[in-house]
Amino acid sequence: MNRRTLLKWISRGLAFCCAAFVAVPGVGFVVDSLRRKPASTATLKRIAMLKTLPVGKPIQVPVIDNRRDAWTLHPAETVGRVWLVRRTDDSVDAAEAKIDAFTSVCPHLGCAINMAPSGENFTCPCHQASFGFDGEPLKPREPGQENVTPRGMDSLESQLVQDENTGEWWVEVKYEKFEPGLTRKVART
Amino acid sequence: MSKLLNWLDSRTDYRRLLAPIRRRVLPNGPSWWYTSASCLLWLFVVQMVTGLLLMSTYSPSTNSAWASVHFIEQSPSGAFLRGVHYFAAQGMIILFGIHVIRVLLSAAFRAPRELIWVTGLLLLPLMIVWAITGNPLSGSQKGVAQIEVEGNIIGSTPIVGPIVQRLLIGGDEVGHLTLTHLYFLHVGLMPIVVIALLVVHIGQVYRHGLTSTDDKTPGTTPRPYWPFQTFRNMVVLTIVLAIIGTLAWRQGAPLDAPADPTLSHAPRPEWYFRSLFELRRYFTGDWEFIATMIIPGGVLLLLLAVPFIDRLCSPRTSALVRGLFVVGGFGAWAGLTYASFARDWQDQEFQVAEQQFHDISQRALTLAGQGRIPPSGAITLLREDAKTQGPELFVRHCASCHSFADADGHGIVASSPSAPNLYGFGTYDWVRGFLDPERIASEHYLGNTAMSEGDMVSTIVDLHDGVDGDDEGRQTLVDQLNKAARALSAEAQLPAQAAADEKHAADIAEGSELIAGDLSCTDCHRWHDNGDLGSAPDLTGYGSREWLGAMIANPEHERFYADNNDRMPAFASDAQHPENNMLTPLELRMLVEWMRGEWYEPAVDENGDGLITTVAEWLQSFDSGSSSASSAPVATGVGQVQSQ
Repeated sequence: MNRRTLLKWISRGLAFCCAAFVAVPGVGFVVDSLRRKPASTATLKRIAMLKTLPVGKPIQVPVIDNRRDAWTLHPAETVGRVWLVRRTDDSVDAAEAKIDAFTSVCPHLGCAINMAPSGENFTCPCHQASFGFDGEPLKPREPGQENVTPRGMDSLESQLVQDENTGEWWVEVKYEKFEPGLTRKVART
Repeated sequence: MSKLLNWLDSRTDYRRLLAPIRRRVLPNGPSWWYTSASCLLWLFVVQMVTGLLLMSTYSPSTNSAWASVHFIEQSPSGAFLRGVHYFAAQGMIILFGIHVIRVLLSAAFRAPRELIWVTGLLLLPLMIVWAITGNPLSGSQKGVAQIEVEGNIIGSTPIVGPIVQRLLIGGDEVGHLTLTHLYFLHVGLMPIVVIALLVVHIGQVYRHGLTSTDDKTPGTTPRPYWPFQTFRNMVVLTIVLAIIGTLAWRQGAPLDAPADPTLSHAPRPEWYFRSLFELRRYFTGDWEFIATMIIPGGVLLLLLAVPFIDRLCSPRTSALVRGLFVVGGFGAWAGLTYASFARDWQDQEFQVAEQQFHDISQRALTLAGQGRIPPSGAITLLREDAKTQGPELFVRHCASCHSFADADGHGIVASSPSAPNLYGFGTYDWVRGFLDPERIASEHYLGNTAMSEGDMVSTIVDLHDGVDGDDEGRQTLVDQLNKAARALSAEAQLPAQAAADEKHAADIAEGSELIAGDLSCTDCHRWHDNGDLGSAPDLTGYGSREWLGAMIANPEHERFYADNNDRMPAFASDAQHPENNMLTPLELRMLVEWMRGEWYEPAVDENGDGLITTVAEWLQSFDSGSSSASSAPVATGVGQVQSQ
């Protein structure tokens, strides 16, 4: 190896090092958002008083929780909405009451599921995915048009608890998010 | 002058550098068809300049993005610049399509110009990224909802999708880092990549455009580019800019409500993505990525391969295939786009939702006014607006028992009303109707409650039965009840009734005496210094902000129904543990203010201090202000309650 070739290779090597000096931390910084974990894990939260829920008619209830967004901690903010359907009336003991909880996030692409104007089923305003009050996808309204949803509404873990002081029965729901667009329900981690 | 230029040339040699441009010759002469390229380039320059200027005032933060864009919109030149930026972007997309079609039909991609074709086509996905990253920057609901859905579309692509999605929106959910990431892409990375491609693209055009004589068409005269083609370019550019300028001036770039995940809104993509939006309807479930990735990606790859496929065909076949491809491609695009819009036009529900969202957006702009945005950001405007939140809160918490609807049924109608209709609660007409023996036990008041046969109903009925057949006595009673109702409704101090209360001051004073005197209301109710609490609701301050708030917070308090409370829950009775309450203090305040017609309106005259001033206006405003799903369409008539 002569002097000229050596200088060429050293120059190339140094140029590579100089480029890496900027590129390595640069790429690391950009992919930071891939490594960042969600700030909190979902826990069961009180969202509604049992006696305020009508039987058989879904009610939309906001979920209030702290929400961390990069550098801001939003205290007690609406982090999502839940459709609650009370299945049993007052003849059933409050402790035995049956409640279904569905997230309002559409399993198709994540828009917010509304009550249909008819009041008889759920509908997503983005692509008219429709669901029954049991959360299952409905047959499309118009013949020949697909119901675009890949799966039924995502149900959430819920339970009934009695307040120690007031004796009121509350619905507790674990508000989670799920991957949209899949036929299976996969929790977003 | 020429001396100076000569000196400059001797130092810089600029004439030689510019020679390829100055001496460029078009072998087939100038053409209007060639103008699309130069027009695109100059629009790109316009985007750079307008974008750079907008950057001087725009603030890429979830807290301030919308506010800063709203601020830009307050300045006529700012609004114009933003409009130009908005419409020129769409103009570029149209021109890009025309340009690609022109090159495809004229076979200008043939050797040695493959690289021109390839670098040009690579600009297409970049333009899409530019549009996707630009629209949400305003921090508006529509833009942010779009990027959320677009992120989910990308995320549902197998394998790489979730990674790209996270990189694009900066984490799991749309937030601070979404805007900063999009901003970085939109104003930082994208211009660098696009300019690099453009340098290659245009450099190749000069290299091969000047030397190639392959496709010299017989019967045409070669002409220099300057001024023959330049003239045509400038004419077209002027027309395009005139259209963009008119749109920017007349219409301006839209700004809808500040983004808020709690807003109900059906996002739709921009018109240029409508065909893909429509295509997704035909591929559902796990196959959706075919519509969102495989088909668009396949079309792009096919286009990129055109110069290489072209070599395999005879010129006639190639021309035929290209012609069919352009017609078919454009037809499919136009058909899908039309189908998507047609679907929305026919969808009554969507139209209603769009109108409601438009009203919400207008309300946000009204609230933002000129520099009225709080430090917590524009999101607070609607969240703390009684006019916006009131109907939502009423539907969620009250409407399973109470209606809030006028005589024609406009407003919020409970599906099975079991408590009084609260439309106009505290007004003279509401109170007077309550004291009417024909109406007190009706569905409108106590009919469906546990009090339908209670002391209040029997007292009112007995009072009237006592004067049965005695016309003079009946007239006296009606007169007394009118005055009592005046006194009672004056307690509410409704802003909409202020003028009427002042006018009837004498009646109010008389009515006040009657409540504690002849009418014996104070046998059960407290009225200022008379009567006791515990047996019936306190009439002191009846319907006032404080009274209404305290009543909703805890109807079982001795000041209200105490042990006689029917089924109304206490919505905020636990001051020690606010998490146990169904209404937060803010929600309670907004509900009360909405029911009382107290919300911000910009002052319109010397009497208007930002509040609605007549009962009719107030009651009318409920119809247009309610945005809940169960509310009826906007009413035009005024309810039966009138200012007297």
